[in-house]
Amino acid sequence: MSLNRRSMLKLSAALGASVYFTDFAQAADWGAIEAEAKGQEVFFNAWAGADNINAYIAWAGEQVKARYGVTLNHVKITDTAEVVKRVRDEVTAGKADGSVDLVWINGENFRAMKTDKLLFGPFAEALPNFTLVDTKGKPTTLQDFTESVDGLESPWGMAQFTFFGDGAKISTPPKSMIELAAFAKANPGRVTFPAPPDFHGTTFLKQALVETTTDRSIFAKPIEATAFAEIAKPWLAFLDEIRPSLWREGKQYPKSQSEMTQMVADGELLIGITFNPNEPANLVAAGTLPKTTIAWQHATGTIGNSHFVAIPINAKAKAGAQVVANFLLSAEAQARKNDLKIWGDPTVLDVTKLTGEDAKMFANLPAPGSVIFPGPAILEPNASFVALIESTWLSAYGKG
Amino acid sequence: MSLIAQNLSVYFGDVRIFEPLSFSVSLGEIVTIMGPSGSGKTSLLSAVAGDLPHPLYSVGDIFLNERNLKNVAPENRRIGRLFQDDLLFPHLTVGENLLFGMTRGPKTERTAMMMTALGRLELAGFENRAPHTLSGGQRSRVALMRSLLAKPDAMLLDEPFSKLDKSLRATIRDYTFTHLRARNIPTLLVTHDPEDVPKDGRVIYV
Amino acid sequence: MRGGSKHLAALPLVLLFGLPLIASLLYALISLFDREGWAALFGHPQIWPALFLSLFTGLSAAVLSLGLALIIVVGLYGSTRWPRLSRRVGSMLAVPHLAMALGIAFLIMPSGLIARAIATLVTGWQIPPQWISNHDPYGLSLIAVLVIKETPFLIWIFASILNREDVSRNLGGQRAAALSLGHGIGSIWMRIFLPQILPKMIWPLVIVFVYSASVVDVALVIGPTQPPTLSNVVWADINDADVFNTARGAAGAWFLTLAIAAVAVIIWVLTRTILTKRSWLAAGPVRRDLIRPFGAPSPREKGGVKIFPSPLEKVPEGRMRSLAKLKFLALTFIYIIVALILLLLSIAPMWPFPNLFPEALDFKAWWRVTDNPTALLTSLTLAVSTSGTALVLILAWMESQPARRDRTVLVLSALALGLPALLLSLGQYRVFLNLNLTGSAIGLFLAHIIPVTAYMFIVLCGPYRSFDSRWRASASGLMVGYWRYMRQIKLPLLKAPLFAACAIGFAVSFGQYVPAQLIAAGRYSTLPMEAVTMTSGTNRPLTAAFALLLMVPPLVAFLAAAFFGKSRWSA
Repeated sequence: MSLNRRSMLKLSAALGASVYFTDFAQAADWGAIEAEAKGQEVFFNAWAGADNINAYIAWAGEQVKARYGVTLNHVKITDTAEVVKRVRDEVTAGKADGSVDLVWINGENFRAMKTDKLLFGPFAEALPNFTLVDTKGKPTTLQDFTESVDGLESPWGMAQFTFFGDGAKISTPPKSMIELAAFAKANPGRVTFPAPPDFHGTTFLKQALVETTTDRSIFAKPIEATAFAEIAKPWLAFLDEIRPSLWREGKQYPKSQSEMTQMVADGELLIGITFNPNEPANLVAAGTLPKTTIAWQHATGTIGNSHFVAIPINAKAKAGAQVVANFLLSAEAQARKNDLKIWGDPTVLDVTKLTGEDAKMFANLPAPGSVIFPGPAILEPNASFVALIESTWLSAYGKG
Repeated sequence: MSLIAQNLSVYFGDVRIFEPLSFSVSLGEIVTIMGPSGSGKTSLLSAVAGDLPHPLYSVGDIFLNERNLKNVAPENRRIGRLFQDDLLFPHLTVGENLLFGMTRGPKTERTAMMMTALGRLELAGFENRAPHTLSGGQRSRVALMRSLLAKPDAMLLDEPFSKLDKSLRATIRDYTFTHLRARNIPTLLVTHDPEDVPKDGRVIYV
Repeated sequence: MRGGSKHLAALPLVLLFGLPLIASLLYALISLFDREGWAALFGHPQIWPALFLSLFTGLSAAVLSLGLALIIVVGLYGSTRWPRLSRRVGSMLAVPHLAMALGIAFLIMPSGLIARAIATLVTGWQIPPQWISNHDPYGLSLIAVLVIKETPFLIWIFASILNREDVSRNLGGQRAAALSLGHGIGSIWMRIFLPQILPKMIWPLVIVFVYSASVVDVALVIGPTQPPTLSNVVWADINDADVFNTARGAAGAWFLTLAIAAVAVIIWVLTRTILTKRSWLAAGPVRRDLIRPFGAPSPREKGGVKIFPSPLEKVPEGRMRSLAKLKFLALTFIYIIVALILLLLSIAPMWPFPNLFPEALDFKAWWRVTDNPTALLTSLTLAVSTSGTALVLILAWMESQPARRDRTVLVLSALALGLPALLLSLGQYRVFLNLNLTGSAIGLFLAHIIPVTAYMFIVLCGPYRSFDSRWRASASGLMVGYWRYMRQIKLPLLKAPLFAACAIGFAVSFGQYVPAQLIAAGRYSTLPMEAVTMTSGTNRPLTAAFALLLMVPPLVAFLAAAFFGKSRWSA
C-alpha cells in the first residue's frame, strides 16, 4: 500500500496544479473547505447489506481521517428511503443541525429530495476530482434516472442490469427478453423476478418494456396514463406469455433480489438478476455461488444508471461531507472500489484521463462470474414511467 | 389499659354498615362479636386494625392503651390478627415465619426464642420445614405463635377456628385462649359458632 | 406508601411511558384524517385480499396457539414434568421470531432440508422440486411459524400464573374438591381452573393476535407475496420515499389497526361471555362410564335433555397427558432442529442442492458478527437499564394506584404493541424531533422504555393485582411496616412473575430495531440494527449467525428468570 500512497500523493499534487490553472477561485474555496472540514464528524448514511461495501467504507474512513482529519461514521441503513424521510421530517421541524451529512443515493430517492429541496448544493462539479469523471462516456453521471443531477449529488459508481446463472446448467444464456421467455418455457418454474415495488423487480419490468417497445425515444419524455396504456399492450402480452412458465406460475414472487440470489445459489432458480455487473464474480469469490457461474447482459443493451452521494440541506458537517465526496472520486478510491477483490463496483471516472500508473490500478482481470461481453447501457426511462409500470403490473398480476 | 371503641361504625359511601358501637375490652379479656353474615363483623375488625379497603371508611374513635388510633398505620397499632386461613408465608420456613414478627435484636437471642416457642408448640425440629408440609392443627398453632411473638397489645381473631375439624377445634381454641389470657392481651373474636364463646365471656351482637 | 406522596409514585410511569405514548399517538392520529391517503388506499388493488390474509393468519395463529398451549398445560400441569417444562418454554421465548422464520423456511422450502432428505434418500432429485411451501398463497407456513413461536409464550404466561405459590396451593385444594364431586380433570380445567385463569390471559391473548396479524418481518420471510399480508403492503408503502405512497401507507396502517382492534374486541367479548356463562360453569359432573373417549359425541339423557360432554371431558386423564407430552416433544424438537439448522447455515457459505451437508465449512460469519462488540454492549446496556427502569415504574404504579386505573395503562400498552410499530414510531419520532431528542442516547433509552413497559405491564398486571390482600393485613398484625412487607413478603412471593416480566422486558428491548434506526438516527449501533442492515444483502451465513447471536442474551435472561423465580421448595 505504501507504493500506492506515494503515487497518490504525486497524483493529488498534479491535480492540484491542474485545478489551479483552470479555476483559481475554486481552488481557493476548496482550500477553505478542507480547512473547515478538519475535525468535523461526517455521518454517512449508506446501505450496509454487504460486508465488502462496509469494509470499503471503513477503509475510506481511515483515509479521510489520516489525510483530512475528517471522522467518517458509517450509519448503516437498509433502505435509503428512510433517510429521505428523516431529512424531510427534520427540515419540516426546522432542525438545522441534521443527523445526516452524506447519503448514498440515486433514482427516486434523489428525485424526491431534489423536488422537495432537501439537498445542499450544487457542489459536485466544484469538487476538484470531478474533472476526472467520464460525463461524456457515462451520461448517467449527469442524468440520474432522467432527472438532471445539477451538481446536487456527486457520482460514486456505475450500475447496469445484469443476469447471471450457473454455466454448468445454462448452455446458452438468453440474451433478450424473447429468448428469456423461450428459456422459461423450456425450464418452467426456474425463472422469476422480485415482486415490484422492489427496485430490481421494477427494473426487470422496465427492461421488458424497453425491449417490447419499438420506438425507444418515447422513454426520454414524461408520459400520461392513456399513452402508457397504448405502449403497454405488447409489454403485457409478453408478460402474459412468460407468466405461466415463471416460478410458481407467476402467482407468487420472491421478496427481494437477495432472496432470489439465494434461490439461484440453492438451485431453485436458474437465472438471477443484479445491478452490479461484478456482483456474481464477487459472490463466486465469497463462495456463495459456484465457480462455473456466468453473467451476461442483453445483446441490445440493459438499463444502466449511476449511484451518487449527496449532502442534505441541513447537514451539520457540509465541508467534511464534501471532502469525503471528493475523496471517493479520487483515482485511488475509485480504483480500490473497482477492484473485484474489494468491491467490484465499476468506476465513474474516465480511465483514459488518468496517468499510466493510475490507469493500471483499474485493470480487472476477468474472474469467474464476470460479464464477458457487456451489452450497451440503456438510459433509464423517464421517472414518470415507474408509477405506471408498478400500478399496471399490480392491477394485472397482484391479486394472486 | 385496654382496647376501647367509641361510637365506632363503618360506612360504604352514605350507607352505614352497622350501628355505632361502643365497647371496651380489658386486659386478658376475650370479647366475642356475633352476628349474621354480612352484618359487618369483618369490617369491624378491619376498622380496628386500620386497613378497611377503599371505599369503606370508619367513623368514631378507637383507643388502645389510651392511645387514639386515628391515623395510625396498621403496622403501628400493635394489633395482631388471625384469619380463617393460617396465612403462613409459603416462601418462608416455619422458623422464619416465627422470626418474621419478632423485634430486631441479636440473632442468637431471636433464634433461641423461636426455638423455645417451637418447643412449646411441640414442634421442635420443625424450624426448617416448609409450612405446607405441616398439618392443619400444627399450622394454626404456628400462626398463633407467630402473632404472639410479635408482642401485640391487642388481638383480633377472624373466625380462626372455623376451618379446623371438630376434634382439633376445641384443643386449638383452648390453646389460643390460654395463651392470650396468660399474656394479658385484650382480644376481639369474630365467630359464627356459639361454642367458640369463652365461658362467661361477653358477647356483642351486630 | 400513603398520604400525599402516594400519587407522586405514579408520576414516573406517566412521564416516561404515558405522556410520550399519548403524544406519539396524537401525532400518528394526524395521518388518520388524511383523506387522500384513504382514497389512495382503497384504490390499491390488493387491499381486500391482503386484509383477509392478515386477519386470517393472525386469528388462526392466536386460536391454534391457545389450543395447543391448553392441551399441553392441561395435560401436564401438576405432573412431575411440569416444573422442567415451564422452565424450558422460557428458553423457547428467547428465539427471535425472525430466526424461527428463517429456520422453518430452510426446513420446508423447495431447496430446504426436507426436500434434500427426500432427494437423497428417496427420489434422487437433482434440482429442487416445485413445492409451494414457503411463501404459500394462504399464509399457512406463516401461521405455522407464528404458532410455533406463540404457543410457548402462552404456556409461559399460564405457568407464571399457575406457578405462583399461593395460586398453586389453592388450585390443588380446588382440584381435590372438584374431584370429590365427581368432576373429571377436563371438567375441572374447564369449569374451575380456566374461568379463574383465562381472564388473566385475555391481554396476552390479544397481544398474540395483534402481533400475529400485524407482523412484518416474519411475513416477509415466509408469508404470501402476491398479494402479501396487509402489514407488508403497508410496510412497503410507508418505507417509500414518495410522499403519496407514504400517505397511503399511513392510512393503510390505520386501516389494519382498526380492523385488528375490531376483531380483538370481538374475541374479548366472546371469551368473556363464554367464561362467565353461569349455567355452563355450574354444570354437574359427567358420569365417566357414559363417555366414549374420542368417539362421536355420546349424548346422555338427563331429565329428557340430551347433554353433550365437551371435548375436554371426553379425554381420560392418561390420554390427555400423553397427548400433551407428544405435542410438547414435537414443539421442542422443532426448536432444536431450527437451532441446528441456523448453526449449520451460519458456517456454510455454499450448500448446493441436494446435498444434506454443506460442501465446505467456514467461520467467517461468526468472525464478522463478533468483531464489533460495541453493538452488543449497547444492546445489553439498553436491555438491562430499560427493563430495570420499567419494573420500578410499574411497581410504583401498582403500589400507589387502585386497580381500576390499570385499564388505562393496559389500553395504552395494547396500543403501543398493537399499532404497527412503524406508525407509532413515526409519531414518536416526530415528538422526539420536536424535543430535540433524536440522535441522542436519552432518546434511544426513552424509545425503548415504551414497548418494554407495555409488555411488562401486561405480563405483571394479572399476577400482581390478584395478590391476596390478607398477606398485608397479616404482616400489619405482626407490626411489620410497608417497606419490610414489600421486601420480605410481597416481592418474594411474586418473584416468579417479576423475574419473568424482567426477562420479557429484556428480550423486548434486545429485539427492538426501529427505535435505534429512527429515533437514534442510526448513530448508536445496536445488535438488531447491525443484524437487520447486514442481512438485507445476500449472505445467509451472516444472517444465520446474527439470528443465533440475537437469541443468546434473551435465552440467558429467561433461564435466569426461571432459576431465580423458582420456589425455594421445588426440587
